[in-house]
Amino acid sequence: MTPLVQMEKISKAYRGVPAVREVDFDLFPGEIHALLGENGAGKSTLTKMMAGVVDPSGGCILLDGQEVTFASPNAALDAGIAMVFQETSLIPSMTVAQNLYLGTEKFLNRLRGTYISAQQFLQSLNFAVDPTAMVETLGAAKRQMVEIARAVHHKARVIIFDEPTASLTPEEKRHFFALLERLKSSGVAIVFISHALEEALQISDRITILRDGELVSHGATRDYDRDKIIAAMVGRTLSGALYRKRDASSLRKPGRKALSVQDISQGRGVRNTSFSVFEGQITGVFGLIGSGRTETFKIVAGITKRDFLMGGTIELYDRAVRYYTPAEAVADGIVYVTEDRKIEGFFETMSVAENLFGGLLASPQHHGAVVRMSEMRDLAAEWTKKLNVKAINDNARVVELSGGNQQKVVIGKGLVQRPRLVIFDEPTRGVDVAAIAEIHRIVNDLADSGLAVVMISSYLPEVLNLSDRILVCRQGRIVEELSPLEATEEKIMYAAVH
Amino acid sequence: MIFDPILDLFRGKAITIPPLDGALRPNTALDDAAVVAGLPSPDNLVWLDGRPVCSSGAAVIALEHGHPRQIAEFPAEVTALAVSPEGKLAVATDDGRLSEGGHEVPLPGGIGCITALAYGPDGALWLANGSARHPASGWVADLMEHGSTGSVWRRLPGQEFHKVAGGLAWPNGLLPDPAGVIVSESWKHQLIRIEGSRVTPVLRHLPGYPARLSPSADGCAWLAVFAPRTRLIEFVLQEKHYRTDMMAEVPRDYWIAPALRSGQSFLEPLQCGSIRSMGIHKGWSPSRSYGLVVKLAPDFAPVASLHSRANGHRHGVASVIEAGGQVLIASRGGDAVLSVGGEA
Repeated sequence: MTPLVQMEKISKAYRGVPAVREVDFDLFPGEIHALLGENGAGKSTLTKMMAGVVDPSGGCILLDGQEVTFASPNAALDAGIAMVFQETSLIPSMTVAQNLYLGTEKFLNRLRGTYISAQQFLQSLNFAVDPTAMVETLGAAKRQMVEIARAVHHKARVIIFDEPTASLTPEEKRHFFALLERLKSSGVAIVFISHALEEALQISDRITILRDGELVSHGATRDYDRDKIIAAMVGRTLSGALYRKRDASSLRKPGRKALSVQDISQGRGVRNTSFSVFEGQITGVFGLIGSGRTETFKIVAGITKRDFLMGGTIELYDRAVRYYTPAEAVADGIVYVTEDRKIEGFFETMSVAENLFGGLLASPQHHGAVVRMSEMRDLAAEWTKKLNVKAINDNARVVELSGGNQQKVVIGKGLVQRPRLVIFDEPTRGVDVAAIAEIHRIVNDLADSGLAVVMISSYLPEVLNLSDRILVCRQGRIVEELSPLEATEEKIMYAAVH
Repeated sequence: MIFDPILDLFRGKAITIPPLDGALRPNTALDDAAVVAGLPSPDNLVWLDGRPVCSSGAAVIALEHGHPRQIAEFPAEVTALAVSPEGKLAVATDDGRLSEGGHEVPLPGGIGCITALAYGPDGALWLANGSARHPASGWVADLMEHGSTGSVWRRLPGQEFHKVAGGLAWPNGLLPDPAGVIVSESWKHQLIRIEGSRVTPVLRHLPGYPARLSPSADGCAWLAVFAPRTRLIEFVLQEKHYRTDMMAEVPRDYWIAPALRSGQSFLEPLQCGSIRSMGIHKGWSPSRSYGLVVKLAPDFAPVASLHSRANGHRHGVASVIEAGGQVLIASRGGDAVLSVGGEA
């Protein structure tokens, strides 16, 4: 069979630094091809070349055996190649339906007709998204659904999914995989990029693994297992250390009560929830999207405000606090490491050093009105070493870093403030396996050093492996506390759903 | 924010109760515990001559190999026990009297509600006087009146009692150490340290009303919490006129107030919080009574706990002692002395 898409000796370099080096890649109709690798391995660059987003520096792309060059993503789309981006490319000020039909509108459009047809189309994909909702009001998961729906709607022959499941719930993932199977049976070729290796093993027909921009392994999925993939991705075996079962001796004892949240409420999102966080422990928080876990901890960190009336009590080290701005929380030693690093986590056009120093400037740890460049450089050198941030050079902008390194910068930005309570919200979302291990080390080190650590995660093995106690959030409140020794994925999910 | 105290006048100060989580995570350990002896309303446990001794009503009972044997009886209910380093038993009664080794001890004016006794390492006898207005059996009334007339007294060997601290909200447990004494202050839901004239909180915001303290074998401490805090009772404690009317018109047993046991009468308020579904009383329902024993670390942070939840029966725990690898627990509401292994 002739490959639908074939890339031969394809290369791409940014400012002379190679991101992809002479990679051969082919894609057949009706197959799901998993593209795996650490962050920075070149997966996104490779697929962006296929989708016409970036121009290759060398090599060629063949579509149906004919060499092609795409001047723009639109040209690739016209040729039948659509890409669902990791960071969504929807227009926030337009409705879901308008986004779906963007670029394919008729000369005269009837809004009602557009909504009805969008509703039918979304329902056919089993996506529970309101077509009349403005995209800016949607959460990350729903935006991802709209993005996927748009690619499917364009009737593309090749669809590239870059981390499509990162923000989907288990239920939504099942629907998504069923959709992939339907697309596959209709002859669509799918490129599937994911850091969840189980998903790749479950759904794909073939696997290609990149490391440092080079092709290191490819073949049929049946020839791979988790350990083999990880070994190929990072050049060493990590799997056993990453998600091992906890035993009683590895659980940390609770220290002093750092945070006591009592009956806090915020509209319909957070409803009368109560819990405590202790020093020297990692408190894992699990909940499905929309369960109010992020909203709860944003109140704690002063990012959002609890209800003015009957809003409950928050005590930090036995002192009642009510923050009106995040600065007050930072001054009290609370750091919130956001789940949406691209929007809330860093200044993407600023350098690593400027970002880290920005964290210091925001806290009372910084004294004096004058910023000394040497101080900034020293701080950056200290924390990039501590957190093992890999940047092209000191002046590299954060936007140029891989997801894992960006996340380390966001963490570093918080840690320079010398916090007493650190809240990690999805710390390893969109981060590769090797960086996950490093971030886990950072989180563990913080708890070992006696800090109170909260880790919100949707990834159950991570919650089970890292937490010393697990809180489960449902419908705006903490409904269950489990010890990692007794908790199983089923028990946690049961508490999160029922 | 500096305006919060002013805003609180308009929005109402939030009265919230800390959750039972972390080391205080609910379990059924007290309901699962073995019964050492069934006694009516067992109160204070001490270790005397190598055997556990417990007060029960007006009697003092020795528990010898699980067989209760009365060793003394008094004209009024016994409210506190302690054993001196020389092995003398000090007994306080609800009529405000104190005897030591069988001899009545003269007490200064102002002591009439002895809730706890303890001997310090220096042989000094510490005494907690719960209230200046009520006897020990009138604890509910003192809580409903927001009593804070309690005091802690100390008597050095060969000397008279002298007041160490006053204005306390029902001191109900004592744990002396070489530097001073840890006191459980029930109505303020906290433990305080009294050192000389200095009073500092060591554990605040307990989810219940703390009672007696005792040392554990590993150098930590045990704390009995005799009743839970609930939102309804906290609300009643805010409503002065309602409370006054309730105290004037309703029999004490049926006040909306904490209790050592509940579910005994259909006239009681807060019938399992109205939460009974499919005939099952839910363990998490709000209840007037609860069973809770807390193991405290040397810095008095809770490290473990034993519970009898709303649907359990071993409520109203007043005292805990640990010896010989056993932890003995007096459950007043459960009419039983319980035993669990040393590790909570």
